[in-house]
Amino acid sequence: MDNLNLDQHISHRYNEELEDLRSRVLNMGGLVEQQVNNGLKALLELDAELGEQVFSGDYEVNAMEVEIDEACTEILARRQPAASDLRLVMTVIKAISDLERIGDEAEKFGKVAMRLSDGGNRPTYFSELRHLGEHVKSVLRDTLDAFARMDAESALVTASRDNAIDREYNSLSRLLISHMMEDPREIKSVLEVFWCARALERIGDHANNICEYVVYLVKGKDIRHTSQQRMAEDQDEDNSM
Amino acid sequence: MNNTTTKRNTTDIVKAGLAKRYARERRFKLMGVAAVSISMAFLAFLLISIFAKGLPAFQTTYIKLDITLEKKSLGLPEEPTAIEISRARYDKSIKKALLAQFPDVTKRKEKRMLYQFVSSYASRQVADALVADPTLLDTTASLWVLADDEVAALARQADYTLEKKDKQTEITRARIEELKAENRIETRFNWLFFQRGDSREPEAAGIKGAIMGSFYTLIVTLVLSFPIGVAAAVYLEEFAPKNKLTDIIEVNINNLAAVPSIVYGLLGVAVFINFFHLPRSAPLVGGIVLSLMTLPTIIIASRAALKSVPPSIADAALALGASKIQTITHHVLPLAMPGILTGTIIGMAQALGESAPLLMIGMVAFIVDVPTGITDPATVLPVQVYLWSDSPERAFTERTSAAIMVLLIFLIAMNALAVLLRKQFERRW
Amino acid sequence: MTKTAETTSSDTQSRNSQLLAEFKETTGNVRVTEPKMRMDNVNVHYGDNQAIFDVNLDLGKNEVLAMIGPSGCGKSTFLRCMNRMNDTVDSCRVTGSLTLDGEDIYAPEQDVVLLRARVGMVFQKPNPFPKSIYDNVAYGPRIHGLASSKDELDQIVETSLKRASIWNEVKDRLDAPGTGLSGGQQQRLCIARTIAVSPEIILMDEPCSALDPIATASIEELIDELRQNYAIAIVTHSMQQAARVSQRTAYFHLGRLIELGETKKIFTNPSHELTENYITGRFG
Repeated sequence: MDNLNLDQHISHRYNEELEDLRSRVLNMGGLVEQQVNNGLKALLELDAELGEQVFSGDYEVNAMEVEIDEACTEILARRQPAASDLRLVMTVIKAISDLERIGDEAEKFGKVAMRLSDGGNRPTYFSELRHLGEHVKSVLRDTLDAFARMDAESALVTASRDNAIDREYNSLSRLLISHMMEDPREIKSVLEVFWCARALERIGDHANNICEYVVYLVKGKDIRHTSQQRMAEDQDEDNSM
Repeated sequence: MNNTTTKRNTTDIVKAGLAKRYARERRFKLMGVAAVSISMAFLAFLLISIFAKGLPAFQTTYIKLDITLEKKSLGLPEEPTAIEISRARYDKSIKKALLAQFPDVTKRKEKRMLYQFVSSYASRQVADALVADPTLLDTTASLWVLADDEVAALARQADYTLEKKDKQTEITRARIEELKAENRIETRFNWLFFQRGDSREPEAAGIKGAIMGSFYTLIVTLVLSFPIGVAAAVYLEEFAPKNKLTDIIEVNINNLAAVPSIVYGLLGVAVFINFFHLPRSAPLVGGIVLSLMTLPTIIIASRAALKSVPPSIADAALALGASKIQTITHHVLPLAMPGILTGTIIGMAQALGESAPLLMIGMVAFIVDVPTGITDPATVLPVQVYLWSDSPERAFTERTSAAIMVLLIFLIAMNALAVLLRKQFERRW
Repeated sequence: MTKTAETTSSDTQSRNSQLLAEFKETTGNVRVTEPKMRMDNVNVHYGDNQAIFDVNLDLGKNEVLAMIGPSGCGKSTFLRCMNRMNDTVDSCRVTGSLTLDGEDIYAPEQDVVLLRARVGMVFQKPNPFPKSIYDNVAYGPRIHGLASSKDELDQIVETSLKRASIWNEVKDRLDAPGTGLSGGQQQRLCIARTIAVSPEIILMDEPCSALDPIATASIEELIDELRQNYAIAIVTHSMQQAARVSQRTAYFHLGRLIELGETKKIFTNPSHELTENYITGRFG
């Protein structure tokens, strides 16, 4: 993993603090991933109990965000990190806010699952939602993997998969809109599905952000708001260098 | 658990050894105090014995005699000039006055004894008095003249217990009592001691010749060794390349400081007197020899002072674009000056106290005249001490100690000046 | 994290020496378009020891160039080459070309007094002369004969002290000894003394290492202002200071200029691993 050489500082305490920070983010990532998985599962299976669990689990995610935020502030104040250490801390600060938002989206699934399970009937188009969900889950897993391994290449690949998610979301939304036009009675339940699809798309965006941070962390290059093509070109440049 | 036991063990061990450690500390302190006390005792002994012996030399005894001064008997013309007056001999008049004072002395032997009652310097004193006031001629003047040293010693202490209680002493004492009864004998502060050169008569011997000799010698030493020493130190410290040659020079300078001073005396005889034919016994040669001796001291002290100037000051000046010479004259030398001056004064004090090399170049001669220049024959304080200490008379022993006291006072004053300079100009960076 | 401290530090050490062995040329652009001072292939030897290896470096106009690096990396040596302060060291030999506005400063006809009047230097320890504040500042102009009258000299002293932002603190006691000031004031006095000669370049050799943070901040503020008129090269042990005051940063390692770049780049994303290791505190 150690292209960042987190364990090579003169100060052992510093090593430990940075290592601790990183593992805490990975823990948070794991928790968020689990929240998303459970939320989707609760939603698709209309499992009110699991939905409740996910709903209350978001509290923990928020608490972790605050905790890691404090740790970052402390490192900034006490160690004045530079270069890769600075980028690591900045990446963590930004990544955890994205993770927290992902957690919020997962919380939404839990809420919707609880609400829908009262109605008893299962809204249509859940299978499309499941497909989108699987896609987003895999993107999220790859993102967290890339972060854990500090792997800029796989982060770039994962980031490029966001486009696929967007396309899938667009087609699903068109489908849902046409369905709503066909059967206005279903609008309410279809809207629920629509919000969930929207939430999945948001998760994809957040995962994409995290991938960009990983690239920044490893390469020192800010690739936010640049086109995929440009990113690939830069990548080639880096390789040729 | 383990931790606490080791801790307790450490404490116990330390505690057990504490008493011993403190005892050792106390012993060491005691030894130090003892060493200091012993050296202080030696110093006190030395000073007390010198002061006890030397103090009487600062007093002298005068006797008032009614001296008849007839021009005819003195062989003076009717209108004598000052030179003629001072050249005339007054021994006879003084002898007559003594006989008049003690009319009971008739025998020849007794007379001769009586004549020794006053110093032979008395004649000089009478002459001086007449030069000052020629109207005293052809009158009987009451003049205070210097008593002989033996008489002075007896007069100072009425209960003087002499080792040789012979008849002669008894007579002398009786006469002193007689004079005392008439208020014709008096003890005064011995100004003559500071006003005259050496003399065969202890009561008339003074230290001025030696002081002036020392003064001229030191002037020569200072004028020669200070500029040469400082220049050499500056060159060695700031300009000389660091190589084998400068190393050798440095070692040799340090060695020169340790060369016995008598060697410099031999060198002075061989080079300055025999080769350059400079006058013997003169402060000029003495000063040259002593400056050879003090040069290493001054060079070493000056180099140390130059070294102790922080290089940051020189760097600052150089970085502003000052040249090497400007840096040294504007900054380094002024900052080193207190140290250089201290070294110089200590070197001078050393030179002041030096006698051996001066013995070699003949500054040990008996010289009555106070020198008036660096080429006049002269002697110096320590050599004067040496000369007097050789003389058998009791009064010379006193004067030896008195001269030592004067020398010590000069040395202390010079060292105090050195300390003062250092204190005054000491700077902190 | 299972590695023990000893192995990690020796790992870094061997990695560093490996990197050093592989080092060929400075990472980053060493040239600027308008150099005030240009240094080419500078090598410095102390006797048989080489202290600086083939350094190429430009000092631009109106820029603050920070030189950082571990102790003994040669940054101070290099700085002292720039006004030939190394001349005072007998065994020191400088080769390569150092030009000030195109003139070779090591040329035989170059007068070192003139050079040092053009390239001033401020030292690590505040070193005012043990003289009055006025005389400290007036010393340079006096020896160079920059002032023709007492009024003119007064004027120079006043402007210099003002530029060094110490005028208000000392204007009432110009006759007081410069050594009586506080550390920070002394250092500003030394800067005023340097400015008084109107140099074109100011070299600073760890100017704040003996100062407290408040004094340091005021010196850094001063450096930023001085940049308007002077080119400044500053050697510092404090990376934060380099990050705060400089526009470009040069990283030296064992006599080699490893990397040179925009300060922002060096401190967020250095290109060379040695630089990275140094500024993030990974040194065995």
